Amino acid sequence: MSKAKHIFVVIVLSLLGITMVINLNKIPGNTDQINFIYSHITNNAVLETGSLNFVTAILYDYRAYDSLGESTIIFGAVSGIVLLLSRKTLPVSSHGLSFIVKRTFGMLTPFIFLFSLYIISHGHLSPGGGFQGGVILGAISIIFSIVYGSEFDFKRYSPTTKTLLETGGALLFIGLGLAGIIFGGYFLENLRFLNTEIGSLLSAGSIPLINTVIGFKIGAGLAIIFYSMIQKTFKEEDKL
Amino acid sequence: MIILKYLLVIFLVTTAYLAISFKEELVSIIFLSIFSIILTTLYLIHNAPDVALAEAVIGAGLNTAIFMTVISQVREGKKSMFREDD
Amino acid sequence: MINHIVFVIIFLLGFYAILVKKNLIKMVIGLNIMEGAIFYWFISITDKGDKIPIVNGPYSSALVNDPIPQALILTGIVIGASTSAFLLTLIIELNKFTDSIDPDNLGRMIKD
Repeated sequence: MSKAKHIFVVIVLSLLGITMVINLNKIPGNTDQINFIYSHITNNAVLETGSLNFVTAILYDYRAYDSLGESTIIFGAVSGIVLLLSRKTLPVSSHGLSFIVKRTFGMLTPFIFLFSLYIISHGHLSPGGGFQGGVILGAISIIFSIVYGSEFDFKRYSPTTKTLLETGGALLFIGLGLAGIIFGGYFLENLRFLNTEIGSLLSAGSIPLINTVIGFKIGAGLAIIFYSMIQKTFKEEDKL
Repeated sequence: MIILKYLLVIFLVTTAYLAISFKEELVSIIFLSIFSIILTTLYLIHNAPDVALAEAVIGAGLNTAIFMTVISQVREGKKSMFREDD
Repeated sequence: MINHIVFVIIFLLGFYAILVKKNLIKMVIGLNIMEGAIFYWFISITDKGDKIPIVNGPYSSALVNDPIPQALILTGIVIGASTSAFLLTLIIELNKFTDSIDPDNLGRMIKD
């Protein structure tokens, strides 16, 4: 790009910035409608859903349908990536990293797994939930591929297992929604069969179930994405 | 707390500038990871722990790994390689 | 006010990278920076200075921040990660045919 064009882009962008700052200052504050929803949620959400975390209450109970759409988008991304990068050959193993790194992560990985299960299962009591814990679950597969070589990852969690986890998670999520129609009357209605005292682990109806299902689905999906992306590297190493 | 917030905001702008100004992709990706970590701290200061956890896990962890796999596979050969094949 | 200015600066830095850079990976990095700017702006302008949106029990009287924007941004972060992974996959596939990551070579590919 020539110098004159470069200066032209900078001038246009700075003019755009000035307009944006002027206009952003004119955004109205809280309207009555926003305040109505806010006060409804902060007053009634704990009694209606049993979840102490309001963000989890919105994501997995009030607007669980949006979470279903989000899972669908991730499913579409995984399908597209696998379709584009699909190869017939199995991944050839890299040797992984040195002995010290392997031993260290051998001790560390069970705790990472435990942490992800904690984040998933305590989603309605503390910060976290299905999406965050699921990404940590997917990170375990990434650690296996980098530290121990992809053959280890292939033996421990074969692509068939990952595919089963992902599609099974998606189907169970839809199944929970249909169960809501049968027992409650609405799609993804909160099934109230795990209602112990508010604040304990097995409370909040179907929120922990949806958390678990989404967690395994997201973790398997991201593991599939990473697994499909590293295949070519190891194949070419083998050729050299 | 307010001083920490202003310091972090300055760092945020600096890392965003450095991430797009370096020529090598590897340095840019590392600065993008630092950008995500600073965003995580800012979300915590603004009382959004759920968003902070998601940004820490996805922005600083997963995105970096995916970008690294891409730059390990992308080969930048001669620019007119496609024509020379014909 | 400072939130708006920081948002605009970071957003335009990412936009500048998308417009000017001759490197597809750099353009995806610019897209990620734009995403981060929007998310930071959304979280910071809806922060009213109250507590985090987690309470102790059903009759807690603590004032909390609005949880709805936080749920929206949580959705946005996950979707942004999956879309950038898909874009990077497209870059890998493109690199097989053109052996470069220059966006100017795309037109040459179509002509041949």
